[in-house]
Amino acid sequence: MLVSNPTLPAGETSSGELQDFDSLVRLYRPRIFRFMLASLRDRESAENLTQECFLKAFQARDQFRGAAAVGTWLMQIATNLVRTHEGSKRLKFWRRTLGTCLDLAYVGHWIPDLQRSPEAMVLAREQVEAIWTAVASVSERQRTVFLLRFVEDMDLLEIAAVTGMKEGTVKTHLFRAVQAVRAKLEAIR
Amino acid sequence: MNRHLSLQQIAEYLSGDTASVDLRHIEECEMCRGDLVRFESSLVLFRTCVHAWSVEMSAKPFARLDSWGLYQPQKKSWILSLAFQSLAVAILFAMASSPTVRQVARQAIEVYAPDLAAYQPETLTRQGGGGGGGRSVLPASKGKLPRAALKQFTPPTAVLSNSNPKLTMEPTILAPPDIPLPQVASNNYGDPLNRLGAYSNGPGSGGGIGIGAGNGVGPGTGPGAGPGSYGGIDGSVFRPGRGVSAPTLLYKVEPEYSEEARKAKYQGTVVLKVIVDSTGRVVNPSIVRSLGLGLDEKAVEAVRKWRFRPGYKDGKPVPVTAEIEVSFRLL
Repeated sequence: MLVSNPTLPAGETSSGELQDFDSLVRLYRPRIFRFMLASLRDRESAENLTQECFLKAFQARDQFRGAAAVGTWLMQIATNLVRTHEGSKRLKFWRRTLGTCLDLAYVGHWIPDLQRSPEAMVLAREQVEAIWTAVASVSERQRTVFLLRFVEDMDLLEIAAVTGMKEGTVKTHLFRAVQAVRAKLEAIR
Repeated sequence: MNRHLSLQQIAEYLSGDTASVDLRHIEECEMCRGDLVRFESSLVLFRTCVHAWSVEMSAKPFARLDSWGLYQPQKKSWILSLAFQSLAVAILFAMASSPTVRQVARQAIEVYAPDLAAYQPETLTRQGGGGGGGRSVLPASKGKLPRAALKQFTPPTAVLSNSNPKLTMEPTILAPPDIPLPQVASNNYGDPLNRLGAYSNGPGSGGGIGIGAGNGVGPGTGPGAGPGSYGGIDGSVFRPGRGVSAPTLLYKVEPEYSEEARKAKYQGTVVLKVIVDSTGRVVNPSIVRSLGLGLDEKAVEAVRKWRFRPGYKDGKPVPVTAEIEVSFRLL
């Protein structure tokens, strides 16, 4: 079973946390950056958008009502940024270029080497690659939901809060994404 | 309720929503459990990869050093600096003045001036040449040299004193006929090294051109050209024959055998080409036929010690080329 992320205590709503923005960044930056990287598959864009995410949060820190956890709020900003980034026409060219050279952003290079045999490494790499391509092929919403669930370990309610969708919609998107991933995985087995 | 899990149910199970999933079936059904475990492990693997990727590639924030600021000059630092630098200088002086160090340094520096004499080309003592002049107040004028010949009938003149001679003869200078002469584009005779000017035979005496004495051209004496005497052109070398006598050997040193050649029982003849100068010494030996094994060097070494009676031309010693065969024979 997937374990929930211990760095993010659930139900944290104190807006006093926002006063110490420095520690906030230190706490949430890896998480936001990871999500950006997995969504955009481009290190530079991920760095930029992570920076922008925190900038937006800083500028809007007075408007934070404390209705959700700070992590959720930040992730909300992050997903919005990813969506606008995906839609931006200026970057479509670069995305196409990047799409043709997937090796650059190939997550399979980062399989932890837990003293696996070479065969096991190849199999693991194949699986990761299958999931990676499947995630790349689904729509932006499905991808976001999938990543939030299986990379960031959020539960359905949190995802719903982050994306602003209803829980049922989240479920549907997640199902579609899982379907696509499973189809890819079945194909290599 | 023994139906296997649908994909919908698997997705729901994985997303943490187990309301509609038959948990007991998962425990019972080997196939469904294996399927779930495989799928989940793939997803976990993917998660690990993404985590590792983001950690590896993200620029980690670091605590900023408080290195910026305004610092006043501090007494302690300049005193320390002065102390350290004076200490360094003192150590250097102490080291340099120590007799041991000086002794070592003196031993280490060994200036060696190699003897380059063996590599430098030998120059002949200025042999040959000639000069003349018409006792004129003007310096000799520039012009071409007359032909070189082994016999001189008339000396060259820049100024024709007799414009209608009874018997014409081409003026020559006395020099080996095969040596190259300096070429000057001029119609009249003169000293090739002088400047252009009015036709003049120069302030010398004897009938030639220049400041020397005799029937030649230039500052020397005799019928040749250039500095020097007894004919020839400034150090030119005669060959025996045609009025030039061959040098004859007066004193001979037997060449030594080299160690290598002796071990190899090697014998043969080295042919050297030398110049016997007007004092009878051998200069500029060059090897025509080599033997090797150090015998060439031994031959040269020996021949340098030989003394000759120089070659004579018209009763005057002149430098003459000669070929010397040095034989090496083992008994």
